[in-house]
Amino acid sequence: MVAVDIIFAPIFLSVLVYFLTKGAEHITKYIALGWFLILFFISLSWLHQLPDHGFLQLGTYLKVPLFNFDLTLQVDALSVAMLLLTSLLLILVVFTSWNEKNQASYFSLLILFSGPIFGVFMTTNVLWFFMFWELTLVPMLFLVGIWGAERRVYAAIKFFLYTHVFAMFMFVGFFLLYKQTGYWDITQIKEAALATPALIWWLMFAGFAAKLPLFPFHTWLPDAHVQAPSSISVLLAGVLLKMGAYGLIRFTVELLPNTTREFALWMVAFGLLTTFFAGMLAVYEKHIKKMVAYSSISHMGLVVVAIATMTYDGLSASLYEMIGHALVISPLFLIAGWFHHKTHTWYMNEMGGIMKFAPYASAIFILAGMAALGLPGTMGFVGELTIIISAVKSFGWWIAVIALGGFISAGYIIWSVRRAIHGEPSQIVLNSTFEMSGAEKFALAIFTGLIIYFGVVPQPIFDVANKAFSSFFGGM
Amino acid sequence: MSFIVLIATGLLIPLFYRNNIFIAKMIAIAAFIVAAFFVYQGQSLNSIFPYFVMTKSTMIMEFALLATLAAVSLTLTGFERPLIAQMLFLAGVSLALLETNNFFVFIVLFEVVAIISYILVANIRNFFNAEGAIKAFIAGAVASGIILIGFALFSFTSESFNYSDMNVSGKFTLIAVAIMLAGIFYKLTIVPMHAWAADAYSQVNHAAAAILSGVIKSVVLVATFKAFYKFMIAYPTATVLIFSFFAIITMTLANFMALWQKRISKILAYSSIAHSGYALIPFAAAASIYSFAGILYYAVAYIFMQTSVFLILNDFRREAGVKHLKDIKGMGQRAPLHSLFFTVQLFSLAGIPMLAGFLSKAIAFYAGVDAGLWVIVLIAALNSALAVGYYVWIIKHIYFDKAENEAVIKMSAGSLIGQLILLAGTVYFGVVAGNVINAGMHFSF
Repeated sequence: MVAVDIIFAPIFLSVLVYFLTKGAEHITKYIALGWFLILFFISLSWLHQLPDHGFLQLGTYLKVPLFNFDLTLQVDALSVAMLLLTSLLLILVVFTSWNEKNQASYFSLLILFSGPIFGVFMTTNVLWFFMFWELTLVPMLFLVGIWGAERRVYAAIKFFLYTHVFAMFMFVGFFLLYKQTGYWDITQIKEAALATPALIWWLMFAGFAAKLPLFPFHTWLPDAHVQAPSSISVLLAGVLLKMGAYGLIRFTVELLPNTTREFALWMVAFGLLTTFFAGMLAVYEKHIKKMVAYSSISHMGLVVVAIATMTYDGLSASLYEMIGHALVISPLFLIAGWFHHKTHTWYMNEMGGIMKFAPYASAIFILAGMAALGLPGTMGFVGELTIIISAVKSFGWWIAVIALGGFISAGYIIWSVRRAIHGEPSQIVLNSTFEMSGAEKFALAIFTGLIIYFGVVPQPIFDVANKAFSSFFGGM
Repeated sequence: MSFIVLIATGLLIPLFYRNNIFIAKMIAIAAFIVAAFFVYQGQSLNSIFPYFVMTKSTMIMEFALLATLAAVSLTLTGFERPLIAQMLFLAGVSLALLETNNFFVFIVLFEVVAIISYILVANIRNFFNAEGAIKAFIAGAVASGIILIGFALFSFTSESFNYSDMNVSGKFTLIAVAIMLAGIFYKLTIVPMHAWAADAYSQVNHAAAAILSGVIKSVVLVATFKAFYKFMIAYPTATVLIFSFFAIITMTLANFMALWQKRISKILAYSSIAHSGYALIPFAAAASIYSFAGILYYAVAYIFMQTSVFLILNDFRREAGVKHLKDIKGMGQRAPLHSLFFTVQLFSLAGIPMLAGFLSKAIAFYAGVDAGLWVIVLIAALNSALAVGYYVWIIKHIYFDKAENEAVIKMSAGSLIGQLILLAGTVYFGVVAGNVINAGMHFSF
């Protein structure tokens, strides 16, 4: 019962939190923190209970025999990795939004968000997956639209509509899956034959590509991530984008392997285009948070290339890079948002010399930046290296051009460090006061610790990847 | 029995109008509860008259109908008191319409519902109300005439009017059915027979509009599907062509029109028209075994959400004079409860999961995919994504904009309970799908 409760309890919990904490809003963050810690430890216990390969059964609820529309909950290593990442980011987000305004509504929306996002990674029923997928949009709409920056309403509505429209293609794809196999559950669909796999593949791919986002479908992201408050940017980049990558692995690689192999080069093309295009835009960008947002898109392109290899190595690398991307991009977003909060400017050429006044934040920005460009000893290096190796193994030497992606990211990271952090302090910086709360410092320290720890000791993540993907292709 | 209880209460209830309207409301609710009890016992018209059959699907729709009408009567205030009696009549006639298995009785009851709807909209307080009411009346009268022409033509070709043994292969049957459908499309507000509805729904009293666009439309959808099922099976190509065509133009045009509007009631009116378009997909997919489950789920979900949004708008108009989008700016602060209910129901209309609106669309659309109409379903799905635009636009005004006026709006106890009933329906049918699907798939006359 625990499994189904942690999906549905947040709905009631958030309403209770919202209405019962009038006048004592500051407790809401403790309630949220407690709830996310519970989620984290439950996910951790599932990690320990996982079988060597395949799914850990968590029960089937709300049975509808005629339509097979049962809420089947089961997790494998891939889902548990995502759940751990999600709950970890949620916990850290509570710290980074310690002093947010309107705490009752803010944290009740965060609690509300935790339910469907867990559902997305826990259910194997396609229709329920889609329901949770859509439901994550609602709290995000309000979190971006109410707490965001100047153009928050535009960004929130654009984000909502964009992902919703593309989800509709996926929706029809899922319908065709059920129509042609008679099952909603992916573990059963896998064994059935499909009549029009290519059509289904493209319909589903459109939904995932818009979420990732891949190059032609990416325009919602710079707006949403820039206008969202920094803590919510962390969730958008760390969790919502991962839904797209998770969906690609679950529903294309695992479910339709032969069709995916057929279209693998398309995926590579989209991934490469995304990496280069977003990287070039990041170089050009003066807006610090937009630069980080484009860097985020550029790294997701690498993840797609890794997924397209369809090999054990590639998928492990993609899982590693997904986690690495979440941990690396989060401090960048947080500090970029914090710089704006303190200097009231978004533009890097108006900043400069922040290092002198905010050494802690600047140091972490530089470190996370170095991780983003793939410095050895950080998560970025292991992620990019494994992706390049696995891609070269699968597609031949020409694919090594993605190493240029790392080259471009070195360009924009180093240049932005040069402009914003080093150099002579600008007048704007001189007039600002840089103070960081203890909670924020704590969260940033955790991110930094994890980036270095998993950069030096990557094996724990590859162990999880081994459990997740060994059953796909026979293992190593 | 339930029919008699409802009609008798409806006849008696005007006696209580003079005193406190509260007593009248309580009597009406008692009548709805008793009627629901009799429905639960399986004692409806079938125990008294022939031509009526009670099945599980009918039962579910009737419960939804009675719960919705009880919720509506809880929220009414002083001058809306005539609606109470009209709702009781409407409930009685709707039960009959849902239960009938005879085409002749269907046509007669359909006209009776139409007449009740003319009386509903005749609660006139100003010029706007009058314009809406007259449009509803004239369009309804034209529709009745058209339906009767079609029915007259059909009655030449069939000996029996029982759904199970109607003669559907007569010489004029197809043209007769097409004529009848043209009339019924007026009632279902299908483009291009929708023009009256955009004005009527938005200009008559909002409580009456709630009943007109939510309750009556849902009942008519289910009853029409049952009545025309045999024809739709007999003429599969014509069915797919006619209903797909009208579904697509209805939803597309209504959604684009809704995006243009400034008056909230007009947005909701066009949204209601767009929903009729989605609801035509199970008709087009009549060949699928999921078609009746689709239409039943659609009606059950739609009755709760559409009624609820118009009732909240009624509260807003009464308490704060809300007409245009700009009037609801900042309602999230001014009226937190109203706004919460409004938002949840709008999300349901938009098709956000865990709410009835999503599952109803999912099953109705699945019926389409099952019948091989996946292109039409894709168009419908994209349309419903487009529709999210104007629903979110309303929500944007409620929560993201600053209020121009700080006066707080309190929710009355009656409204609160009524809205809770409707919300319970929306949430329950958003998660628990088993009952309706089982009932819909074991469908027989």
